[in-house]
Amino acid sequence: MSTIASAGIQAAQPLLPEPATVAAVIRETETIRSYRLVFDDPGVMAAFSFLPGQIGLVSVMGAGESTFAISSPPSEKEYFQFSVMKTGVVTGAIHELGEGDKVAVRAPMGCAFPSDGWKGKNVMIVAGGIGMAPLRSLLLHLLDHREDYGKLQLIYGARTPADLCYAGDRQQWEERGDLDAVTTIDVELPEWTGRAGLVPAVMEESGLRPENTVAVICGPPVMIKFVLASLDRMGYREGQIYTTLERRMKCGIGLCGRCNVGPKYVCTDGPVFSLESLRGLPDEL
Amino acid sequence: MRFIATDRIPGLLGRLVESGMSVWAPQVVKDTVNTVLFAPWTGLEEISLDAYTMLSAKQLVLPATERLFSYRYTLEGGRERIGIEPSPPADKETAVFGARACDARALAALDALFLPEEGSGYRDPGYAAHRAGLTVITLACTTCDSACFCSSFGKGPAETAGSDLILYPVEGGLLAEPVTEKGSQIAAFDIFEDSEQSKPELATTACIDLEGIGDKFLGAFNDLDFWQRATENCLSCGYCTYACPACHCFNIFDEMSSDREGERCRSWDACMFYVYTLETSGHNPRPSIAHRYRNRVGHKFSYYPANQGELLCTGCGRCIRNCPGGLDVRNVLKGLAAVEAATEPGTRKPGPSGPEAGKPGTEGPSANGPEAAR
Amino acid sequence: MTELVTKIQEVLNEADVVLGWVHSAAAGAAVPAWFHNAVEAEAAVFDSTCVHNLAVHLPRLQDRTAGIVAKGCDIRSVVQLISEGQVRRDRVRIISVPCPGVVDVKKVWRCFGYGKKLIDAGGQVEMEGKTAPREEILLWKCRGCRDTAPLISDVVVGDPAGVAPPSPAERTGLRERFDAMTPAERRRFWQEQFSRCIRCNACREACPLCFCRDVCTMQTREPHWTGGQINAREAEMAQHIRINHLAGRCTGCEECERACPVGIPLMLLLEEQNRAVEKLFGYRAGTDPEAKPPLLVFDIDNDTWDSER
Repeated sequence: MSTIASAGIQAAQPLLPEPATVAAVIRETETIRSYRLVFDDPGVMAAFSFLPGQIGLVSVMGAGESTFAISSPPSEKEYFQFSVMKTGVVTGAIHELGEGDKVAVRAPMGCAFPSDGWKGKNVMIVAGGIGMAPLRSLLLHLLDHREDYGKLQLIYGARTPADLCYAGDRQQWEERGDLDAVTTIDVELPEWTGRAGLVPAVMEESGLRPENTVAVICGPPVMIKFVLASLDRMGYREGQIYTTLERRMKCGIGLCGRCNVGPKYVCTDGPVFSLESLRGLPDEL
Repeated sequence: MRFIATDRIPGLLGRLVESGMSVWAPQVVKDTVNTVLFAPWTGLEEISLDAYTMLSAKQLVLPATERLFSYRYTLEGGRERIGIEPSPPADKETAVFGARACDARALAALDALFLPEEGSGYRDPGYAAHRAGLTVITLACTTCDSACFCSSFGKGPAETAGSDLILYPVEGGLLAEPVTEKGSQIAAFDIFEDSEQSKPELATTACIDLEGIGDKFLGAFNDLDFWQRATENCLSCGYCTYACPACHCFNIFDEMSSDREGERCRSWDACMFYVYTLETSGHNPRPSIAHRYRNRVGHKFSYYPANQGELLCTGCGRCIRNCPGGLDVRNVLKGLAAVEAATEPGTRKPGPSGPEAGKPGTEGPSANGPEAAR
Repeated sequence: MTELVTKIQEVLNEADVVLGWVHSAAAGAAVPAWFHNAVEAEAAVFDSTCVHNLAVHLPRLQDRTAGIVAKGCDIRSVVQLISEGQVRRDRVRIISVPCPGVVDVKKVWRCFGYGKKLIDAGGQVEMEGKTAPREEILLWKCRGCRDTAPLISDVVVGDPAGVAPPSPAERTGLRERFDAMTPAERRRFWQEQFSRCIRCNACREACPLCFCRDVCTMQTREPHWTGGQINAREAEMAQHIRINHLAGRCTGCEECERACPVGIPLMLLLEEQNRAVEKLFGYRAGTDPEAKPPLLVFDIDNDTWDSER
C-alpha cells in the first residue's frame, strides 16, 4: 500500500472545497464526459500537486459532492481532469455544466499508486470502461518517466467502440513504439478493425508475463473478478497486483464511516490497494 | 472531598448558568411517561437523575446537524464566483450535568478521532470548539440496571476519562471529586462544603467476555448465517447508532435556500440504513441488515480497536434497553466469545445465537451484579 | 409443554420459521424470537409484555413460509399486508393468541426500573413487591380494544372469547388538550414535539405497513421532498409524508410511537387520520382481507368510494 498521504491544499480544513472553473468539457461516450478544471485562486492552482491514483471530491453547490479519480497526469499544470459517468444526482448536475461554469473541489485525497517503487519493472495496465480514468493518469505519468520503467502495456476494453474513452489519447498511444497499447471490445463488429474479446481473455493471450512485472487493474467488478482469475493462471502473485477501489464517500478524511473495508478506509488508506493487502481485509466489496 | 446537599443542586446549576454557561441536565420530557433526555436547564425544570437518558451527551460535541459552510454564487465584474463562508466555530460554554461514566468515557474515544494530538492528524474545528467549551459533570453510578455492562470495560463505573468533575451519591447529597482544572474550579464554588465522608461503593454491572473480541469477530466475519440469526430482531432503524455515545458517523449534504445560495451540512448518519453505503450504480456493499449490523459490531469491537487501540463501546446499554426490535448486542458478543480468533476474516462457527442459546437475557446480572450492588 | 409451544411446533412442520416471543431475563419482559425448530420453540411465551407487532418482519420473509404468533391487533396488520399484496396469504400461518392487553414498558420502567420481572395476575401487575392496577400500565391502544377476536387465523391458542377487552380510555389529558387547541397552538405543539426528533427512522422501521423502507423519501435526494437536516422543520415534513402514506392503511398498532426514542405522540396524528378515513369511507384498515384500501381505489372524478367494491 502506498504511504503517500493526502498532503492537499487544504490540509488544515479538508472539508472546505476550493472554488474552480470548468475550462473544457470533453464528450468521451454517451454517458461519460471529462471535465478539465482550474482552481479560481491562482495560488491554489500553482500549489496543486498530486500523484496518479489520488482522488478528488467535486461539488456542484446545492446538488452535493461526489468522488472521482483524477484522470490527468501530475505533469499537467494548466488544469486537472475528472472523467464523470452520469449515474445519479451529483453526476447528473455535473453533466449539466459547460465551459466557464463553477464547481468546488477537494483534492487530492487518498493514496497514490506506488509507481516510484516500480522503477525498473514492467507495468501492465488493465482497464475496463470508466476504470480507465485513474489509469490514464498513471499511464501518462509513466510515459512522462518512460526511461525509469521496463516494458509498458495497456490493455483497455469496453463493451462497444462507442463505450471507449480518451479517443485522442488512444491514437497517440497506439502509435508509440515504447508502449504496447491493446484496445479491445467485447464482441466483433463490422466497423471495428481492432481487437475483439473480453479483457481477461485478451490479457491471458497477449499480456505481459509476470516476471518482473506489476499489473494494475481497474474496471467493473465483474471484469476485476475474471481478470484476477486470469492473472492467477498467468502466474501473477498477489503482491504484484494493484487496483483502485470505489466506495460511497462523504468526508474523504476517514471520519464519516461509510467507505471502510474492515479497518481500512478507502478514502485515506486507499483508494489504491495491492491485492495482497486487500486479501487480509474482510470481503465486503 | 467537597459535598453538596441534594436541595442545593438547582443552586449549583443556577451558578453555572449565571457564569454564562448553557447547562444541560436529564429531564423527563413533558407529556411522556418516561422519556428522559438531556435538555437545557434554565432554572425551573425538574432534573431527573434516577433514570438513564434515551440519548447520550454526544450531541453537545457532535450536534445532530451542523452547518459546515454556506455558499453563494455572485457576479463580480460580469464573472461568476462562488463564495464559500465557513461557519464560525461555536464559542459557547456548555456544562452537562448528570452524564454517566459511560457517556464521559465515550467523549475520550471521540476526542481520539476528531481531536488527535496536535500535529498527528486532522483536528475537526467544529468538534474542537464544542469540546473546548464543554464541562462534563458526571454522576457516578452506585446502582445499575440489567442493560448496563460497563464493568466489561476496564474500570466501568469508576472510569474518569472524559469527565471534569465526578459526583458521588451519598447520604443527603453528592460528594464532588474534580478530574480536571475545569472541575476543580466548580468544586471550589462555595455552594459546596468540605466533607469527611468517603466515596460510596460503585455499582458492578453484568460483564461480557471481551478477551480477543476483535480477532474473534474476524474469525466469524464470513459466517453470514451467524449474522443473520443474530440480527433477526433488528428493524434496521438508526436508534442504536444515534443513541450510542461513541457512534459518530455522519452524512454531508447540500441544501439550497435559492438557486444561488445554500449551505453544506453534516448530520448524524447511521450505518444501519440501507442508503448509507448505497452507490449510485445500485450496488450496495452492505445490502442486508446482517451485513450492516456486522459492520456496526466490527467497527466497535474490531476495526476501531485495530486503529485506535480501544473499544468503541462503553457499555451504556442504551441500544439494549430501548431497541424497538428487542436486540441485545451482548448476545452477539457472547456468540463471538466462543469463536476461535483469527487475524484474517474467516468462517469460524460462532456459538449458537438462536432463541435457545441466545435466550435473550440469559447473561443476566452476575452474582456480584446489580442486585448485589444495590 | 404449553399449548402455545405445541401449536408453534405443529406449525413448524409446514413453516420455515415462526415469529414469537421468549422471556428475557435482562429485559424482565418478552423479546421477539424466531423459532426455526421444535427445540427452539420450547422457549416460546405469550404474556402481557409481548408488545412488539411481529407482522413488521413478514414482508422481508416472502421467500419463506412464516408462522406468526399474533395478537388481535397484530392480525389486523397481517390482514392489511395481505390486502395490499405485500404478504401472500399462503406464505403465512397465523397463530392467534388471546390477548387481554399489553403493557407500556416505559410505564413499567418508570414504576419499577428496567429489567425487573413483571408478574401479571388478576387485575394487578406486580414487580419487586410493588403493585399497580393492570389497566393503568397498558398501552393506550389496548384500552377499549375492538380486535380481541382474531379476524383470521390458522391456529388458535386458548379461547379468544375468554378475554375481555380492557375498558376504554383516552390517553390521559393529552388527547383532550390537543383537541381543544387552536390551529396555531397545534402548530406550536408539533414544532416543539418534532424539535426532539433525531430522524432515526425507528417509527418507519417499526411500522408493519411502511413498505418503502430502504428507499424511503424521508431519506432520498431523488425525490428531494425533505432536507437532510435533523431539525424540527425537516423532521415534521418527513413524518407528515410518512403519515399521509398511511392513510387508510394504518391499523393503529402504535408501534411507531412505542419505537420513538424521544416520545413524540405520533398516534395523535394517526388516530386523527384513521378516524377521518373511517368517517369518510367507513373503512378500518386491516379488518377485511378482501377489501381494497379506499385511497387505492378512490375515483377522484366521481368523488365516490364504492364500498361494495
